[in-house]
Order: sequence, then structure tokens, then C-alpha cells
Amino acid sequence: MKYHKYEYTADEELHFYEFTSIGIKGEIKKVVEYSKMNIEGYYNLAFGDFDEERNEINDKIVTNNGDSLRVLATVASTVYAFTGKYSNAKIFATGSTEVRTRLYRMGITNNLVEIQEDFEVYGMKSDDTFEEFIAGEDYIGFLITRKKK
Amino acid sequence: MKIDELNKKKIPLVKINKDLNKYKGKVLFKKKLQKANELLDRAKLPHELNVEKR
Repeated sequence: MKYHKYEYTADEELHFYEFTSIGIKGEIKKVVEYSKMNIEGYYNLAFGDFDEERNEINDKIVTNNGDSLRVLATVASTVYAFTGKYSNAKIFATGSTEVRTRLYRMGITNNLVEIQEDFEVYGMKSDDTFEEFIAGEDYIGFLITRKKK
Repeated sequence: MKIDELNKKKIPLVKINKDLNKYKGKVLFKKKLQKANELLDRAKLPHELNVEKR
């Protein structure tokens, strides 16, 4: 990714990652999670803020900490880490809102050449079919798998 | 290797934090997982990745 990443830590199975976003609203703890889905070998990638007051995840909040590209670069880095351990994993991601899904699409588009060196990237269209990711197309979700080398 | 150089590497060196093992077996983003499962359950997966759905 072209953008700097935050340093992060992970659990021993590399399913959970934590890092701290530092921006105009201060320091905000972020959590990234890879959860097993209903289909064998598929994992859902989700991330959001950790609400330190409530001691729980808040995946609805819009942080606007001014570092969304760096946050996305950090999340993308966890994809490398996760697929480094689980090389056959298929990772699915969708935003909690259309705006967030578009943000993910922008993040992929801005780094597509680099991402495609190591990953197959698919976009899920509104008719529930997948196609190889095309910059500029609208998608409701994304599927990423590590290329076999 | 300096931190800046490490930062530019695609393959990350992951620092393990055993405190995060507390999440093992939990789903933190339940609604997102539910939504993702709903989307994939009705999706026609790429044929090259095709698997039988559970």
C-alpha cells in the first residue's frame, strides 16, 4: 500500500488485531476481526472502533479522525498477515453502510496494481454475482484470495 | 532494519499480544458477520472458487 500503516498487534491465531488511530480527534483504538463464515474456508473481515468507556466494539460510529487511508492501509496489512498463516482463506468484506463500502472500493482501487500482485480480487455486484474487480464499478462486497505462487 | 523501512514492507512482522486471546471463540462484529453471511448465502460465487455451501 502507498500509505503508511499503524503498528498493530494480533492474537496468537491471527484472527484479531488491534491498533491505535491517531488523528484530529485524538487516539482511538481499532479492532480488526476475521470471522469464520457459513461457507467453509470463507472469513468475514470486519473492523471498527473499540469503545473504551463501554468496553465493547462500536461498528456504527463514524470516527472522522482524518486518517482513513492510513487505517485502510493498516487493515490491508492485516490481510497479508492473516493470509500468510491461512493461505487458502477466502476473505469477504462489505461495509456497514453504502458509504463505507464505497470507501473500501476506493481503498482497493487506489492500490489495485499492488494488491493484484499478490491477491485475486473480486467484486460482488447487486445481482449477487462476482466478477474480477474493475476500478470504477459499484460493488456491494469484495472477495480476496491469495494468489498461489 | 528501521521502523520506517519495516513500515514499507508488504509482508508484516506481526507482534503477538496474548491479551487478544480473550477474543478467541467470540464474534465481535455480529451484525457485520450476519450481513456478510446473508450476502454470500445468496451469491453466485466465482466459479474458480466454487465450493458447496453448508
